[in-house]
Amino acid sequence: MLGTAFFLLLWPWMALGQEKDGRSLTVFAAASLTVPLQKIADAYAETGGEQVALTFAASSILARQIAAGAPCDLFISADEAWMNHLLNEGLIAPENRRDLLGNALALVAPANSGADSGGEDATPLDLSPRPGLEEDIMTILGDGRIAMGDPAYVPAGIYGREALMSLGVWMNLRHRLIPAANDRLATVLVERGEAPLGIVYASDARTSRALRIVAAFPQSTHAPIIYPLGLVADSAAGRSFRDFLFSEKAAAIFTKSGFRTGEFLSGNQ
Amino acid sequence: MFGLSTMELEAIQLSLRVALWGVAWSLPLAVGVAWLLARGRFPGKILLDGLVHLPLVLPPVAVGYVLLVMFGRQGAIGAWLFDQFHIQIAFTWRGAAIAAAVMAFPLMVRAIRLSLEAVDRKLEAAARTLGARPADVFLSVTLPLIAPGIITGVILAFARSLGEFGATITFVSNIPGQTRTLPLAIYTLIQAPGGEETAMRLVLISVVVALAALAVSEILARRAAARLEP
Repeated sequence: MLGTAFFLLLWPWMALGQEKDGRSLTVFAAASLTVPLQKIADAYAETGGEQVALTFAASSILARQIAAGAPCDLFISADEAWMNHLLNEGLIAPENRRDLLGNALALVAPANSGADSGGEDATPLDLSPRPGLEEDIMTILGDGRIAMGDPAYVPAGIYGREALMSLGVWMNLRHRLIPAANDRLATVLVERGEAPLGIVYASDARTSRALRIVAAFPQSTHAPIIYPLGLVADSAAGRSFRDFLFSEKAAAIFTKSGFRTGEFLSGNQ
Repeated sequence: MFGLSTMELEAIQLSLRVALWGVAWSLPLAVGVAWLLARGRFPGKILLDGLVHLPLVLPPVAVGYVLLVMFGRQGAIGAWLFDQFHIQIAFTWRGAAIAAAVMAFPLMVRAIRLSLEAVDRKLEAAARTLGARPADVFLSVTLPLIAPGIITGVILAFARSLGEFGATITFVSNIPGQTRTLPLAIYTLIQAPGGEETAMRLVLISVVVALAALAVSEILARRAAARLEP
């Protein structure tokens, strides 16, 4: 108890101490970027760059914190709406915004679920707007639900809803969702077998061993998934890390984590 | 009703249902545990004490994850309940009630335990010398004496249940009509641009519900105290 009390008393000071040191760079990034950004920050430190303090959360939460004046040098959002919001508020200069990454959506199931459902691995589900698609999905679902980011506010869920709508199955499936607080949580629910199906980013689907990709959503079913980057505090240190994020070294790490970089994005702009 | 939208009404009803059921289910257990902690002498008492207080010191998200691991479809308890009785806990309002009950349990136990420790044991002894059986002593002497403590515990737990967020969203997610309670509805609204106004209305509703609960507890506590006056 005493230890807890001391900790509670002390931690604001510890936090202040960190802020004052000023040498480190603060990056706010969407939760889905956790793994690759950690690696890139390490690689950046190895090349002699500053220490990068990474904060991961839902883009909406981070954007609101930046709007409220949180100390942040660089913001990488999982959707354009929130980045545009900060641009409109005048917190990020238009010339300091660039598209960093692309992603795709996948319909996933727990890795061990294929065997008992009649060799579905052999014929992947055809995700096109066709009659019978809803029945096929419902068959896999049984009495379970589809895990995905909450379509009310989580970018992955918003893309997911758009995809289900353009496939013509949203009206009935929307009552069968598990709207998760972020994309990572939706992934965990499928990995643990709590949900027989999930709609998550392809980056998560490809890097998780506990997941099986049932089908990839065609790019045409939803708006392009773009991760824009914005320089909030325009400093030399911030620009240097931004350039590193666009370097080949960083691109290799992003690609390994299932993201799309470079030519995919330029084709979209 | 009062110009509330379906979503708002749903969230309010659900919150009340979750909190009431959570409290109702945990009350008998809380009285039992409080009794053990106040009166019992057994090995492992410190361990039980620690276990009961765990939800108070653990991050709510951690509690929610543990609940998911235990009560989920794949969890030991969850799978058993589903196979035996076809009861699903995860992603239903029952799960939300369990999350609320677990998070509020330490508060309830603490309040009841304190009042149990304050009971004058001589009164119980007197009842026993007059021939009352242990159950009679408990029901006619101890229970009325600790009634104020029980009321305090119930109200604290009810208030904590109404506000439960972290464990709930991790364990049972945020399903409209099933698990989207008031705090989760407010959170959802704040996440999207332009939801501030509705969120503020739900915040005001939360304040009204909380104040009403406190007023009820005050009245009940006064009545219980008045009954103890000679």
